[in-house]
Amino acid sequence: MTEPATIAAIAAVTVVTAVISARGVRIARTPADFMVAARQVPSFLNASAISGEYLSAASFLGIAGLAMLEGLGALWYAVGYAAGYLVLLVAVAAPLRRFGAYTIPDFAEGRLESHVLRRAATIIVLVICGFYLLPQLKGAGLTLQVAFGGPEWIGVVVLGVIVTFGIASGGMKGITFVQAFQYWLKITALAIPAIFLVMFLHHPPIGSIGSAAPHSFDQRTTIEFPASEELTVDGNIRINAVGRIDGTLRDGPLTLTEGTHEITSGATLTFPAGARAPQVQNSPSLTEKEWTSPLLHLGGEPIHPLAATYGILLATVLGAMGLPHILVRFYTNRDGQAARRTTAFVLLLLGCFYIFPAVFAVLGRLEAPGLYVSGQTDSVVLVLPKLVSAGVIGTALGALVAAGAFAAFLSTSSGLFISMAGAISHDIMDKGVRTFRASAMVIGVVMTTLGVFVAGISINVLVGWAFAIAASTFCPLLLLGIWWRRLTWIGALGGLVLGGGASSLAVILTMAGVGKTGWPAVLLGEPAIWTVPLSFLTMVSLSLATPGALPNDVVAKLLALHLPERVRPPSPRRAELGPLVPPITPTRVPTPQVAGSPGRWSDPDI
Amino acid sequence: MTAHEPPRRQVIRAAPRRPSERSLSPVTDDLYQPDAYGRELLTSLMRAQAGVSLAVLVPAITLLALYPLLAVLLPGLASYEVLGLPLTLVILGGGIYPPLVLLGYWYVRRAERLEQRFVELLKEQ
Repeated sequence: MTEPATIAAIAAVTVVTAVISARGVRIARTPADFMVAARQVPSFLNASAISGEYLSAASFLGIAGLAMLEGLGALWYAVGYAAGYLVLLVAVAAPLRRFGAYTIPDFAEGRLESHVLRRAATIIVLVICGFYLLPQLKGAGLTLQVAFGGPEWIGVVVLGVIVTFGIASGGMKGITFVQAFQYWLKITALAIPAIFLVMFLHHPPIGSIGSAAPHSFDQRTTIEFPASEELTVDGNIRINAVGRIDGTLRDGPLTLTEGTHEITSGATLTFPAGARAPQVQNSPSLTEKEWTSPLLHLGGEPIHPLAATYGILLATVLGAMGLPHILVRFYTNRDGQAARRTTAFVLLLLGCFYIFPAVFAVLGRLEAPGLYVSGQTDSVVLVLPKLVSAGVIGTALGALVAAGAFAAFLSTSSGLFISMAGAISHDIMDKGVRTFRASAMVIGVVMTTLGVFVAGISINVLVGWAFAIAASTFCPLLLLGIWWRRLTWIGALGGLVLGGGASSLAVILTMAGVGKTGWPAVLLGEPAIWTVPLSFLTMVSLSLATPGALPNDVVAKLLALHLPERVRPPSPRRAELGPLVPPITPTRVPTPQVAGSPGRWSDPDI
Repeated sequence: MTAHEPPRRQVIRAAPRRPSERSLSPVTDDLYQPDAYGRELLTSLMRAQAGVSLAVLVPAITLLALYPLLAVLLPGLASYEVLGLPLTLVILGGGIYPPLVLLGYWYVRRAERLEQRFVELLKEQ
């Protein structure tokens, strides 16, 4: 299924991104340039850039796939991803910009005066970015698989290599303009196919959403099985089979008898029109009522659905503020008020974007029941344009979607790689360009290897876990650090360790297959529902117990967070860096960069 | 700069300053004094800002939390259709975003006005 249009589209996205980024690096390379440029970034452009970096594989592919598989309740992920910016807006955006810390470890050390806390925050940055990176790699694997066939790990390795070398060579930095371009590319790549599909295709009436699928095939349907599956057939079906079925190599007509059959990966089955679709082992089959229910079905099963729904809302709404690669973008805002306006625009842009995954989920359920059978619902966005129109238009739409998807992986994973490599080279090892490059290479190898092993888990579920860990660690640190003057570094450290440890452990246990039913499934699969309160409680109680550990100038620090720029006292540093640097800057000033080098990881440049 | 109060800047002028000429910065310097007055100003600013934030967060949280809860309490709710579309699709697939965006927009305006008033208050003194 090799398609030149798709290859060309993906290559074009990669090259354009690399070229614009490399040019941008040359334009802005000193902190002063960065500051001057920052003044000129209007809120709307900045908001496009934040949205561009934020909309990852989960938003582009995952939500539609999960909603198709587990029902419309999975759209809560999208709602949470967007609503998180409302919390960020009202509680974090302006104060954090005014404080002038570039990263969360910077904030932690600047606000609470503890180097140990900084180290702990750095480790959590690595954990969150790591969990967030896996689904991006998986998404790339899926995209290349749909476009070219072959096993999923090829795409994982391709993206891993591109991003690793891009960053290690200093050519791929998060330039505001590139990221803004990526947002508009992504929304176009979803909107045009979605509008086209809804308007011009004779799909079954939307009202038949639940009943039409996935029980029978309307037309002769060929399904490829990239992964091995067990199918259950409830009556004999005459099919055409190519590949290994039940351990025997087949090539031709075959009757699937009633019962369970083992399909080995690589096989292709063709079902006649009107045949009842087989059931897939471990894959849910929801009735209409279940599918349209506004509650989250964990793995398609209604296990304590209200708790699961609130769990995912808590994780996504509170986790958005703790994503290390996003927060750094807020420093390209002129001041606290600009940061607020930018965040409000982000909310608008995300709200517009998240309409389309829902459209794809519905169309997927109506038009592509074969994806349920092959267990590939995560690829619905990529497959749908081709399934419903065979000609040039289908190919063009398919290429557009693939390009958008690749833009999603590329932008998010570069941001995550830069955050991780920066955290390692800056906070753990000695600073310097060589360490940064070495860290990027090591992370590239480790994450790509791990990425090969997560094939069986839904993209969106993986991203949900990254959000759950962020919500259980950085969210309480930021909210209490900004709004509560009695927070101490010991309390913050305790909360980070307990909240981060508990949520990571729950995620790892779920990945290992522990707890598939009842409360364990909810509490381990959606840990935010108990780890977020745990982290808050630990921070508050430990802080109250250790008043001696309070930093000695709390009032000055809170003023730095909350005082509007117009009434700030003049600061000595203003003379050096222009009027934009806030008077109380926690630990570090950005170090001047060598021309063409990656330099400090977090400068979002222009 | 981390652990210390920012140093006061003395602007050297031809004539000594009279109280009527007080600029903004001496006023804000009061904020940095560890006495009761500075602390009170800070507390009132933070309270006012937190108040605006909560005025947005409470309706937003209600909006998000209400629909799943109603769906559990009234099992028939999800079967409703609006213009031929399932209610869940209408709400989660787009309907929930406009109120969230409006709340965000309203917050930005309220917060900017509040800061404007705070600046004016400092100037009046």
